[in-house]
Order: sequence, then structure tokens, then C-alpha cells
Amino acid sequence: MNNEDIKLDLTEIFSHGSLKIKDKNIKLDIPELLFLGSCLITAFVTLFFVGFIFHTAMPVFQKEGLLNFILGTEWSYEKGVYGIRFFIIGTILMTLVTLILAVPVSIFTAIFLSEFASVKVVSVVRPLIELLVGIPSVVYGIFGLKVLEDIFQNYLDPFLNSISSLLPFFQDFSPERGTGVLLASTVLAVMILPTITSLTEDAMRSVPFEYREASFSLGATKWETIRKVVLPISRGGVLSAIILGTMRAMGETMAIVMLLGNTAHVPRSVLDTGYAMTSKILNEITYYVSMDEPRSALFGIAAVLFAIEIVFVGLARVAGGRK
Amino acid sequence: MNLRYLKGEFFKGISYLATLVTISALFFIFGKIFIESLPSLNLSFFLTPESKAKGFGGGIANAVVGTIILSVLSPLLASPLAVGTAVYLKRYAKEGRITKTFSFFIDVLSGTPSIVLGIFGLLLLVFYLRPITGGFSMISAVIALAILILPVIEKATESAIDTVPEEIEQASYALGATKWETIRLVTLPYAMIGIISGIVLAIGRAAEESAVVVLTAGYTQFTPEFKVAANDNLLFGVKIYPFQDLVAALPITVYHGFEFPMLVPQSESFASAFILILIVMLINFGTRMLLRRGKIG
Repeated sequence: MNNEDIKLDLTEIFSHGSLKIKDKNIKLDIPELLFLGSCLITAFVTLFFVGFIFHTAMPVFQKEGLLNFILGTEWSYEKGVYGIRFFIIGTILMTLVTLILAVPVSIFTAIFLSEFASVKVVSVVRPLIELLVGIPSVVYGIFGLKVLEDIFQNYLDPFLNSISSLLPFFQDFSPERGTGVLLASTVLAVMILPTITSLTEDAMRSVPFEYREASFSLGATKWETIRKVVLPISRGGVLSAIILGTMRAMGETMAIVMLLGNTAHVPRSVLDTGYAMTSKILNEITYYVSMDEPRSALFGIAAVLFAIEIVFVGLARVAGGRK
Repeated sequence: MNLRYLKGEFFKGISYLATLVTISALFFIFGKIFIESLPSLNLSFFLTPESKAKGFGGGIANAVVGTIILSVLSPLLASPLAVGTAVYLKRYAKEGRITKTFSFFIDVLSGTPSIVLGIFGLLLLVFYLRPITGGFSMISAVIALAILILPVIEKATESAIDTVPEEIEQASYALGATKWETIRLVTLPYAMIGIISGIVLAIGRAAEESAVVVLTAGYTQFTPEFKVAANDNLLFGVKIYPFQDLVAALPITVYHGFEFPMLVPQSESFASAFILILIVMLINFGTRMLLRRGKIG
């Protein structure tokens, strides 16, 4: 087939979207090809990105063994030993405390917005909550560091320390500074509040109003209806909201590197310092990017974090009803 | 007054309290940042690039310009891909395993911790592709940010296409329009406001991102300028400014307040934080206005 067989009329292609090949019943659908192309590029970028991270991390997994890498306690570039247990524990502990702080507040705020507040109140409160999303994480970090750290160090930590004989896990091991799990988690909690609140509110609003009416007509009070009808039905949505909030907390970097204290050990209390996986990567990658083994070790942390996130994405989809 | 009633009132009180806590956190954060930034918050701080000010800090014009450039260029790169992907998945691909796999891909991409994307950009774009990108540079940052916001635009486009009524597309087919004509003249115009607000949202997301930008853009005290200079380390032996040059961004300026607490006055950190919030919020507000107009119109 030579070039003359193809009728190349650009205006025709644009308006009809096809390229006719003379005397042949083949029709090339140009726009479809373009859309397919962008789809394939997106898929390629995603797969390449995931593959690149795991490929770069592979040498350290092979050298240390995946289990040793995850459970090991020593991280030393000189000895070539890489274990990330302290960072995993730091991230998990920080995320747990964040959830303990954020989940009750955001679920009850969502209950307020979806069940108690009038339309007028909702139209004022909801945009305000969404404003919290507009605060960049680095700003949260600097706010926690320059404003909250003083408050924690001088007021909250001593107070919690003084009642630590009653409540375990509240001893203050570093009275000279305010950074630690609780400070990082408090700031993270505020960061993920709007995410969990708005998704939970959506889930609760999608419960048909008839269900509530049926419950009221059986003599249930408003709270009983919320507790026994609305919450159980919206359970999936609420769960996926919490999972998404958890992912955001675990993946957060900038605020945490400023607030968690960056000391590699198991935090002895909620006020103690720790070291998160994300902070370890951020603090050291620029120095070691040109050295194969240390670079692979740092990518190993990223790969573990990424793997956890991928599992969570799957869980959130199952919980949210999208399989 | 029975126990059930009291219990209801108790939990009602708790939900009011929870809302109050959220709202007061917001006002506390905003108020405190605004008050702390007052000593540095003036027009000359906003309009002076750091290179023109004495020593460290003193101005943020370089960072403001850098942030605007990055957050405009990266959606420019990501939007065609994202919109194309969404249109293909919604209108061409058969619903089934492939579309499900794809929406999982998109979810994974949008759930990616920014640090993971950041080190990907650092190693691939800054380190391996240095001859092309110029190392820490505007190009590197734009590409990395484009990957970050691609899922945002893709998801917004998918849900915008979902709002298009089936009837008007069928009417278009009934008039003899081809698939492409229907998509170009009916589907996309109807979904346009949703798509644009997705793009605006992505601009905000790119403007506030810090981990990715720190690891790909570097930082410079100078405002971007156009010039071409010889550079033997790069492909073709020339370095094209500002694309292959370092670029500043507001989130990094804020981060400097943590990295160099002795050098940066506290009020300057807060002032750059305040201006960053202002920019991101204006963008988010714009999205909301767009969506509202779309609903009425």
C-alpha cells in the first residue's frame, strides 16, 4: 500500500474521527487510538513506577532477606547491615495514636453534620472543615514545630508525666523537648480529620431516609437510630474512610520529619521520640543516592511502605464496595 | 426523662463537641499562623526574590514564581493523559477485568506516599536522566508532580463523565453522529466543568506538595529567567534555562524554617506558610465556585 491510497484530510479526521483507506474496508479510528494511547501510557507509567521502586529495592532484600530486613534492629552503612524494625514500629505506633485521636472526633463530627445539623449550619461548617485540607503538610509541620512543641514541652508533657503513675505509657523521657509520638500524632490527626469526616458523612448521607423513619416509627430515639441503623448500614463507607485516613497518616513525610524526633529506638512511651519510615528515607536519600547498596536499602523502606499502601488500597476498595 | 433519652442527649452533646474541636483547631491554626507572620508580612517580602535580599531569607518572590510555574506546568503535562485515559475507560473500553485493573492502578497511584514518588523522581529523573533533565531542575519536578496529580484529574474526569445523561448521547447517535463526534460535541462539553475543576484541584495539589519538590526541584535563590548557556554535562552541550535549572518553591521555603532554624527568622517561615496557604485556598475556592456554577447552569 503506498501513501496515495490513504486519504489524508486533517479536517475530515478531526470532524469524523476516522481515516478511510481507499478501496479497503478498514477504518482507522484516530481518536480511539489517541485515547487508547493515553490509557496505555498511564498504565505504563504506573507499572514502571511500581516496578522501578521494587527493582531498586531488590538487592537489599536479596542480601538481608526480607524477614531480616523488616525485623532487624541495626541500620549501619559502614557494616552494611540494614534492619528497619524501629522505623516500622515508629510508623505503626504513630499511626495508631493518630487514629485513636482522629477517628472518634471525625466520626462524631460526621454524625453531627449528617444527622443533627440543619442545612444552614452544614453549609457553613462543611466548607470550614474542608479548609483544613487546604493546609499543606509542610505548614502543619512548621506549625507543630514552632507553636505546638512549646505547649507540649512546657504544659502538656509535664502534666501527662505527673499522672503517668495512674496511666501507663505517659512518662516523659525527654523533658528538654516536646517532639515525640504524641506531638506528631496530634498534628497528623488534624491533617486526616477532614478526610475521614467528609467520607464518613457521605457514607451516612447515602443511607435512605426511609430506614430512619422506619426506626423512628418503631419508637427508637434519634441516637438509637444512628447507632443501630445508620452506622451499621454505612459501615463499609466508614471503614474505607478510616483506611484512607490511615494511608495518609502512614505516608506523611514533611510534618513527621519535623515532629517525631528522629531517634531510632522503640518509643518507651507516647511522649517519647521515634523515627518513621518516611523520615528515614527523606533524611538520608540525598546523601546516598549515588551509592548502590545504601540506596537500595533506602528504597527497601519505600518498597515496604508502598506494599503496605497497596494492600490498604485493596482493603479500602473491598470495604467501600468496589471490588 | 428516661435513660434512653438522656443517652441520646449525651451523644448529641458529644457530636457537637467533636465539631467544635475540629472548627477550633482550624481557627487556632489560622489565627496563630497569621499572627506569627505579621512582622514579616509585607509587600516587599512578597515581591523580593531571595537573591536580592541580604543573606538567607528576606524575600520569597523566587519561591512564589517557582510554585506558580510548577503547579501550572505539571497539570499541563498530566491533563491530556488523564482525560484521555478516563474517556477511554468510560466510553471505549468494555466494562470488565481491564477497567477494574485500571481503576485499581489509579487508586494505587493516588494512594502513593509522596516520599516514594519523591525518591523515584530523585533517582530516575535527577540522577539517571541528568543529561536530559539537568539534574535537580524544573523539568524533573514537573514530571514527578505530573505523576502525582494524574490520578486526581483522572478520577475527576471519570466522575464528570458519569454525570452525563445517557439520553443526550443516545440522541446524538440517533442523529447519525459518530462516536468521536458524540464525545467531542456532547459528552466532553457536558463534563467540561467537572474536568476543569479536577484540573484546578490538581493545581492546588501540586502547589502544596513538598516531599516530591524537595527531592526533584532543588532550590535556588534566583527567580527563573530564560537563557541558553553552554554546558558540557548535558545533552547537546547546552543548558536551557529555566527548564533545566534549579527552581525554588514555597513549600521548600517553609521547610527551611525547620532545616536552618538559626538562619531563618521565625516570622518569615510563618509568612511564607501563610502565603502558601492563601494560594492553595484561593485555588480550592476557585474549584468550589466552578462546581457550584456547574450545578446551577
